[in-house]
Amino acid sequence: MAEPIVELKGIGKSFREGDRERVVFRDASLSIATGSWVFLLGRSGSGKSTLLNLVSGIDLPDVGEVRVDGAALNRLSERERTLFRRNHIGFVFQFYNLIPTLTVEENVLLPLELAGLLTPVQRRRAGELLDAVGLADRSRAFPDRLSGGEQQRVAVARALVHAPKLVLADEPTGNLDAETGRQVLDLFQRLLRPAGTTLVLVTHSSEVATLADRVLSIKDGVLVDGAGLPGARP
Amino acid sequence: MILWRAGMRNVLRHPWLTVLAVLGVALGVAVVTAVDQANEAAQRAFRLAAETVAGRATHQVVGGPTGLPEELYRTIRVRLGLRGSAPVVTGHLQLSGRTFQLIGIDPFSEPPIRSFSSRFTDRSVLTDLMTRPGAVLMLASSAAERGLKRGATFPADSAGVRWQLMLAGILEPSDEVSRVALASVLVCDIATAQELLGLVGRLSRIDLVLPGGEEGAGVLDEVRSVLPPGADIAPAGARAGALDKMTRAFRLNLKALSLLALVVGMFLIYNTMTFSVVRRRRLIGMLRALGVSRREVFTMICAEALLIGIAGTIAGLAAGVLLGSELTRLVTRTINDLYFVMEVRRLPLLPAALWKGALLGVAATLAATLPAALEATGAPPRAMLSRSQVESRRRRLVPLAACCGVILMLAGCALFLTERGGIVGGFAGLFAVIVGYTLLVPAGVMFMSALLRPLLELLLGSLGRMAARGVVVSLSRTGVATAALVVAVSAGIGVGIMVGGFRLTVQNWLGNWLQADVYLTSADRGGGRYRPPLNPALVRRLLGLQGEAQVTLSRRVRIEGASGATEVFSVQVPERSFLRYPFKDGDPALAWKRFSRGEAVLVSEPYSYRHHLHPGDSVVLRTSRGERRFPVAGIIYDYGSDTGIVIMSRTGYVANFGDESVDGMSFTAGPGLSLARLLELVRDRAGEEQVTVVSNAQLRQATVEVFDRTFAITGVLRMLTMLVAFVGILSALMAMQVERARELAVLRAVGLTPGQVWGVVCGETVLIGLIAGLLSLPLGIVEALVLIYVVNLRSFGWTMQLAITPAQLVQAVVLSVTAAFLAGIYPSLRIARTSPAQALKEEE
Repeated sequence: MAEPIVELKGIGKSFREGDRERVVFRDASLSIATGSWVFLLGRSGSGKSTLLNLVSGIDLPDVGEVRVDGAALNRLSERERTLFRRNHIGFVFQFYNLIPTLTVEENVLLPLELAGLLTPVQRRRAGELLDAVGLADRSRAFPDRLSGGEQQRVAVARALVHAPKLVLADEPTGNLDAETGRQVLDLFQRLLRPAGTTLVLVTHSSEVATLADRVLSIKDGVLVDGAGLPGARP
Repeated sequence: MILWRAGMRNVLRHPWLTVLAVLGVALGVAVVTAVDQANEAAQRAFRLAAETVAGRATHQVVGGPTGLPEELYRTIRVRLGLRGSAPVVTGHLQLSGRTFQLIGIDPFSEPPIRSFSSRFTDRSVLTDLMTRPGAVLMLASSAAERGLKRGATFPADSAGVRWQLMLAGILEPSDEVSRVALASVLVCDIATAQELLGLVGRLSRIDLVLPGGEEGAGVLDEVRSVLPPGADIAPAGARAGALDKMTRAFRLNLKALSLLALVVGMFLIYNTMTFSVVRRRRLIGMLRALGVSRREVFTMICAEALLIGIAGTIAGLAAGVLLGSELTRLVTRTINDLYFVMEVRRLPLLPAALWKGALLGVAATLAATLPAALEATGAPPRAMLSRSQVESRRRRLVPLAACCGVILMLAGCALFLTERGGIVGGFAGLFAVIVGYTLLVPAGVMFMSALLRPLLELLLGSLGRMAARGVVVSLSRTGVATAALVVAVSAGIGVGIMVGGFRLTVQNWLGNWLQADVYLTSADRGGGRYRPPLNPALVRRLLGLQGEAQVTLSRRVRIEGASGATEVFSVQVPERSFLRYPFKDGDPALAWKRFSRGEAVLVSEPYSYRHHLHPGDSVVLRTSRGERRFPVAGIIYDYGSDTGIVIMSRTGYVANFGDESVDGMSFTAGPGLSLARLLELVRDRAGEEQVTVVSNAQLRQATVEVFDRTFAITGVLRMLTMLVAFVGILSALMAMQVERARELAVLRAVGLTPGQVWGVVCGETVLIGLIAGLLSLPLGIVEALVLIYVVNLRSFGWTMQLAITPAQLVQAVVLSVTAAFLAGIYPSLRIARTSPAQALKEEE
């Protein structure tokens, strides 16, 4: 079996909601093999997005350890975690989250610039990626001129441009119609699988989940293998 | 680079917000720079003039009001053999309505002292200067202005007499600085000056150039040994220093007002930057999720602020220089009215004032941005921090802010109680109270909008309720905007009450002080507060009215002393009038006997405050018979001079100073003589003399006019502060409009008409104005109390009446509501016009 790229050990995480405490994870553990596609299914508010935040180092667990590519994120400083995320992780959000004041091309180039990799070779790669997502001719447009599907394709290109080992996708098709959603998933298939990139994807849809190597759900604060959730959509 | 592009495009996408932020900084910087410039220009012009005229003199021998005897110069020059000595006779002349300083010198003893005398090597000029009557020198520019060529004659007025002067030559100063300083100076031979100024046989002073060290001290002792009683020797810089000190309080007060504008400007910047962060919380969250570090976000926001700061500062400096020349005119006018005659004709660009303005503008912008930048970097890197979370976090801070505010206000009050803090302490306390109060404003906004909600609901139904709630829901913006408006409006109330009270006090004081029916003075105001003596023949003629009317004589002079100059006002006053003097301390009946015999003096309130004097203490004055102590018989209210005056009976003055001249006369009509008839009699006897004859009412009117003119500059600064606040409200409302576009679009979508949306937004605006107006009332009154009982007392030693009229307060609230309403018109119209589809389509 391949080396695990993500390892969660004894994770505990809870949030304060008014007077009471809502426990999201209670002694949860998980190991994700490099190159595998792991999809998380679950009801709204079950903690799927929290898991992505923990894996990306955006949030920290109350207890337990989060290791990504050998680095214990919970032992890194805020700045180190940011740099780690910048260099090793690609993010795709449900609401695209493109920077409205940057053009399509600039949005894609941003992670490269942040990582200090803005070389002519990399620029070419960005161009190829935009071509691959079918938006080479819109590179100078601003996000608000694009449709939802187009915006999400730009977001995919942005997530992949610096060739991260791990891509985290938070309901990437949740805001799109079925056909457009399929196109985006196709992109993942074409661009991630050949490169052996690990994908952790949160979704409501059990149809989307058929693409996964492994399906997880969160039950009473613990990560369990398998779907079969009452809240899952066909 | 790409990251910077994102930030810059954000600035460009909301050009109005950026323009308003730049405008806010610019206005603040402009006001501070302009006041600085005006203060500095006036101060520098005076110093330059004093230095150029004093030349290389190290010491000056000065005398009493009648100057020094000519023989003294001969003694110093011939008997002591002091070559570095030069006699000077100086006074003021009027040249077609403009005041010039006339400096009479001895060309032969000049060269070691003054540089402008280089022209004396020209024989013909020298001959003309010494032999032709009325021969003077002036700058080429002054001569050109009047179309005068060498040898031309022109009229000049001195002490009510018209003289014909002759341009004997041109002054050729060696450098630009002296050129500026000599712009209003005429130089002539000493004998000419003595004749023109009515000082035959007398000198104004003798300038000395003494070597340093022990040798100098020895010479100084020698000179001192030959001085007659009443003469003294002082370092040349002392006079300039004393005059400088005299206007210090006045300049400090102006500076404080200008800083107030900057404080309001800082609120504006804080508001703009906070909003710029709050509005972009989602963007910042996204960037953080993509791996942009806190430091990078912080740098981005600070850099943006820096750009706004720099742009605003550049615009502010340009506006400040323009405004500065206008303020310089106002400052110069006030100094001329209150202190001494001075003319600032050309405004030199002062790098110090510009640097200070620049530094202040950029530093204030960055300081105001800091909280916003810290908040942005402190936010978790999640793209889901909702506005309500930001707002509720802000609301949780309200009690803490209120506590800090109370502590700050208490600290300010403590500063008022420590007398040692002086004027600076007074202003520091005032600023602490103002800033402390603004921290209470958010709590006040919450409380007041809850209080006013039922009223709005009654008037506007559920729309009114929404407006009231809107103010509280977006407290992070409305709180700051309201605070800025509160500061500006309260400053208006505070200064307004102070000026109003002061005006009333002065009017009441004039009623007690000016008891005669008709006043006569020399028309020549060349010497500022000090007028030249009246023609003795005229005085004799007018004294002939004694019997029909009661005539009194007066003289106002400056007595130079070791610890600066003292203004002495001597008056021949009947007991009945004396008893009606506005006494603050002391018993008029007891004081009268010793006063009338010239054994004791009265001092004005500012004088007693500055010199810590009480009845029973004594004042030391250098009389013509040497230094003498005069017991203080009483302290009277006087608002004519902020440096204070000593009042002496004419008998005492003549006996102690040997000066029988008169510069003012007053006449009280006897029984059966009407005021009109008395005026006619006085004017008849005055004949062709250059004198001013005014009735009591006219003099009161003129004095109040001078008072109003003095406060004109305060009015200008008040207006500018209000303008800054207005821009603040406008930018806060524009910011809210951008922020709430989606929310209001939803309202439009569910069926609110554009008019109703306009109503909601305007309702909010008016509510902000009303709350700000009401909240500014207590602060305004506190500011007035501090200005009257702390700042003015410490600056000038004046007691003032406190007069608060309901009209003033109502006016302030109306002003606040109007400003807020006006500022709200454009944003609310834009909101109402925005297509709901467009607003809804935009991301979250």
